[in-house]
Amino acid sequence: MVIVESAGISDVGRKRKGNEDSLFVDDELGLYVVADGMGGHQAGEVASSLVVKTMRDYMKQFKNNDDVGELAYTDKTLSRDANRLMSGVHLSNQVVHQISNSKTGYRGMGSTISAAYFTADTFIVANVGDSPIYLIRNSSVETLSVPHTVIAEQMAINPDAKFGKPFQHMLTRAMGIEKTVKPDICEVQCFKNDILVLASDGLSDKVAPKEVLDIADNRSPHKTCQMLVDLANERGGDDNITIIVLKVKAIRHEKSGIAGFFSRIIAG
Amino acid sequence: MPTLTLKFKKDSTKIREYQLERGQSVSIGRLDSNDIVIENLAVSGHHAKIDWAGNGFLLTDLKSKNGTFVNDQLAISHWLKQSDIITIGKHILIFEYAAGEAQPDKGDQKMGETMVMDTGKYRSMLAKNVSSITSQVDGGEKTGVLSFLSGGEGEVELTKKLTKIGKNASSDIVVKGFFVGQTAATVSKRPDGYYLSYVGGFSKPKVNGQAVKESVGLKPFDMIEIGSAKMQFVHKT
Repeated sequence: MVIVESAGISDVGRKRKGNEDSLFVDDELGLYVVADGMGGHQAGEVASSLVVKTMRDYMKQFKNNDDVGELAYTDKTLSRDANRLMSGVHLSNQVVHQISNSKTGYRGMGSTISAAYFTADTFIVANVGDSPIYLIRNSSVETLSVPHTVIAEQMAINPDAKFGKPFQHMLTRAMGIEKTVKPDICEVQCFKNDILVLASDGLSDKVAPKEVLDIADNRSPHKTCQMLVDLANERGGDDNITIIVLKVKAIRHEKSGIAGFFSRIIAG
Repeated sequence: MPTLTLKFKKDSTKIREYQLERGQSVSIGRLDSNDIVIENLAVSGHHAKIDWAGNGFLLTDLKSKNGTFVNDQLAISHWLKQSDIITIGKHILIFEYAAGEAQPDKGDQKMGETMVMDTGKYRSMLAKNVSSITSQVDGGEKTGVLSFLSGGEGEVELTKKLTKIGKNASSDIVVKGFFVGQTAATVSKRPDGYYLSYVGGFSKPKVNGQAVKESVGLKPFDMIEIGSAKMQFVHKT
C-alpha cells in the first residue's frame, strides 16, 4: 500500500462572500476529492458538497473489502479500482442531477470534480470540469487532469483561435448538468516522493503549474497548501481557493517470499 | 421583469403579454399544459421553452416540427436579447426588458463565474470548425501499440489506461524470465501520452537500452526490453 502525507485547505478568497468549493481528504480510504460548485443562491455549495459526500459514502464500501461484488457496469480499459472510482463519479453526477431538478432554486447547479484514489501501488485520477490535478515528480510538473473548458478544447483544434472574456470560465462538462457524464481518468504507477496537487480554479487562475512545482518541491504538504493559498490571495483572491497536496512517503509492497525480499533490497 | 408580447404576425395587434420571472422557466406550445399556449397547428405540442440560466434568459427549441426562429434565424438555443423577435409558426413573441432593468449583455459583472456551456451553442460553434475537427481526429489521440520483436508474437494495443506487463499470468502482457517481476512494469495512458514505469523484479525494464528506475515517457519507435521480451512502441496507424 501507498503511505501518503496529506493536507487540504479551502479558503473563501478575497472577493466572494461564500465558499462554493468542497473538499474531502481521507488517508484510510486513500481518497481525495476537490469539487468546485456553481449556481447561484447557495446551489453551488450544495452541488459541490453533494459530490464530495457521495464519493465518500460510495467509496467507503471498498475499504478493506475485496469481496465486494463486481460492479454492474465495468469499462474493460480500466482496472478494478479505476472502475470503482469511475462508478463513484457517475453516481455523484446522478445525485446532483436529480437534486437540481427537484427544486427551482437548485435548477442548473453543477460542480467540477477532481479526485485521486490510491491503490496498492498506483494512483488513479479522474476529473470533470476545470479543477486541475498536477503530478510533481523528479522536479517537474505534469497536468494529469484534462480541462473541460471551451477555450482548452478549441485551442486543441485551432491554436490561433481568439476568445473573449465570456468564455474564460465556460465549461463543456460538469457534474449534475446532464444525466450522464464522461470523466477523464488515468492510472499512474506510484513512486516515493511523488506529489499530487488537486485544486480549484481559484488557484490555477492565479498560480501557474511551474510555480506550484517550485513551492511544493521540498516542502511539507501542509506548508505547501498554506503558501499556495496565500499566493492566490495576494494576487487578488477572486474566487474560492481549495487545494489538496499529497506526498507519497513510502510504498509497502505486499509481496511475499524470497523474490519479494530480494527485489526490495535491490530496489531499496 | 422582461415581457413577452404575443402577436399574430408582425404588424397585428398584441394578443397577450407574459411576464418572465428570473429563476423561473416558461414553456411554449399548443397544448394546455404550457405556460404560454399558442393554439395553432403550426405549433408543436411542446414547442419551446425559456429558462433563466446564469444571468440571462435562454430560449430552447424542444425539437419542434416547424422550428423556432429568432430574428428570422433558425434557433436551437438562443440567449434572448432586448427586442428579439421569436417566431413560432405564424405567431411572434417579442422579448423586452422593462425600462431601466439590468440586462445581462450590458453588465457582464458576473462573467467571472463559472458556467457550463450550452451544448446546442457549443455544437454550432464546433460545426464552424468541422474541417479542423476532422484533422484533429486524425492527429488527435493516438492509440499506442507494443509490437513484439522477440520473446512473444504479434502486437498489443494499449487501449487500457494501465497495462500490466510481467510474469504473473494475470498480466496484460505476460513475459518470461527468471528475474522478471510478477508485475515488472506498467504502461499508463496519460493526457500527454504513454508512460512506462518500473514496478518490481530483479531486472528493470529497459527503454532504448537504458534501465528504467521509475518512469519514462514513450516516443514512437522506442525499444522496450523486459526479461526475454523485446517490443517496439509505435502509434497505431
